[in-house]
Amino acid sequence: MHPILKRRSRLVLYLAVWIVFGLLLTVVFIFGGRAPPLWSLYFAVPMAMLLGMQSLSYWYLVQSMPPGETPIVRMVISWVAAGLASLVAWLVLGYLWAQYLLEPGENYGDETYGILGLMIFAGAIGISLAVLGHYLVGAFERSRNAERRALELQVLAREAELKSLRAQLDPHFLFNSLNSVAALIGNDTAAARQMCFLMAQFFRKSLTLGREQAIPLSEEVGLAQTFLAIERVRFGERLRSRFDIAEDVRDVSVPPLFLQPLVENAVHHGVAHLLEGGEVCVTARRREGFVELIVENPCDPDRPPSRGTGVGLVNVRSRVETLCGHRASVDVNATDENFRVSILLPYTGAAAALRATA
Amino acid sequence: MRVLIVDDETLARSLLREHLAKLPNVEVVGEAANGFEAVKLVEDLNPELVFLDIQMPKLSGFEVLELLGERAPSVIFTTAYDEFALRAFEVHAVDYLLKPVEPPRLAAAVERAAERLRNKTPPPSAHDLAVSARPPGRTLERILIRHEGRVHVLPLERIDFIEAQDDYLSFSCGGKRLRKQQTMADLESQLDATRFVRIHRSFILNVERLARIDLYGKDSWLAILGDGTKLPMSRTGHAKLKELIG
Repeated sequence: MHPILKRRSRLVLYLAVWIVFGLLLTVVFIFGGRAPPLWSLYFAVPMAMLLGMQSLSYWYLVQSMPPGETPIVRMVISWVAAGLASLVAWLVLGYLWAQYLLEPGENYGDETYGILGLMIFAGAIGISLAVLGHYLVGAFERSRNAERRALELQVLAREAELKSLRAQLDPHFLFNSLNSVAALIGNDTAAARQMCFLMAQFFRKSLTLGREQAIPLSEEVGLAQTFLAIERVRFGERLRSRFDIAEDVRDVSVPPLFLQPLVENAVHHGVAHLLEGGEVCVTARRREGFVELIVENPCDPDRPPSRGTGVGLVNVRSRVETLCGHRASVDVNATDENFRVSILLPYTGAAAALRATA
Repeated sequence: MRVLIVDDETLARSLLREHLAKLPNVEVVGEAANGFEAVKLVEDLNPELVFLDIQMPKLSGFEVLELLGERAPSVIFTTAYDEFALRAFEVHAVDYLLKPVEPPRLAAAVERAAERLRNKTPPPSAHDLAVSARPPGRTLERILIRHEGRVHVLPLERIDFIEAQDDYLSFSCGGKRLRKQQTMADLESQLDATRFVRIHRSFILNVERLARIDLYGKDSWLAILGDGTKLPMSRTGHAKLKELIG
């Protein structure tokens, strides 16, 4: 939507500026062109408003050629062409309007050619100012959008932090882990101690990582591995895992705690329901301009798939898409026996977008 | 007292076994790591008391209880955390233990179970428990059927239609039929009304299987399924279906 047409107050202000332009033009016609004062007023003010209306269309040209991203030559040529076309149209309409203002039987004298010269001059200035104005409005809108996006990101980051806090306090995870510790103390104190260390590590890591805006992928993978190590104490041989993280994506910036919920889902909705258990596979690799992350797990065909796609997945999707825009995507591929989530993050875009708000 | 422990986690079983070993007159006769094993072991070992975990692969604790039916022994549920199940236990006054289990509570629960045995208190209704333990808004997702000694887990989406036959319900899925003792009204109340419609006194239809509706006579219709099966439809059934699919 055109930023000036979006609100009535802006449109009124915009037209007021053009009326002032029209009044100036009137003065120029009277003193510079020796035109009759009343005629000058009737002619100049509507013409100025007309130029203002014509100029509104420049917004779309500004949008299609953002400064800094468009070659200068292309910009200059486009604007000169658009400006000339606009000026010619304005002059033609001006000619018609001037004819309309004539009393029947009257004619303009030769001195009107002076007015034509003034019109060309004034039109060129008006159009130039309009283009400049539109670029200013565009820059203003962009900075406002950026501000709003930054704010949105902050809110999301807060939400993520809260969710991560709640995830750490996931009662199932916590009480079951404590139950495992209680059991181990009886017959394997070393393992009990190890379990305590793992839990401490998991809680501490998710606390600190949750506060960050962006973390290296390797940290997120480490957290998921700690989580799986704890769950493996509970599930034993039934829970297996495989991580295949390409060397060149280890340092890529990712939103914190986005992988861990997916791995948690893979365990609780997938492997936990299989008698023989199964393998949770996490793959990360570069694919053209993207980082591709895949979490895959087998699941029980007797369990309806609706329970596999939980709130966690919705959260991950909304976070990834808001943090990285439409270039990121989250795809779910569920068959009777397999559940697979693949996430594409822009390889550099993700890092840049996140850094901008950090 | 002969006791069976059912839990999918080895450590959870060993902890319970360790605590139970210290109690007098308690003998752990077996351990089951999943619902199927639990059903089988209850029948083979005939324990007087079962410690039953709720969240297990294949069959939940509630489903195990449902399958055991009248043969179910005294039951103590164990869970780490499950707010809906806990509410169900409170409502139906069923004994449960929270993991990690504290030995004094365990002793008290075993004592109460012995009391129930002496008084021959019947076990809780698995059906009532399962219904009140279901989170709000969630309907039944699968049907359990014992057929010739085997347990069939039937996800609802595989069912074409259900027919009432005397005291039984006959579930049709892909030409196969499985029978289960249950009433039509009871099942209907648990199903998702947007997916399953009672089109006739004796028939519930999976709406997805409907291919077309033929007029059969005055106030009676035939539902024609994708595989050509024809089912009778009553006036009210027709109205319900019309309302649903427009």
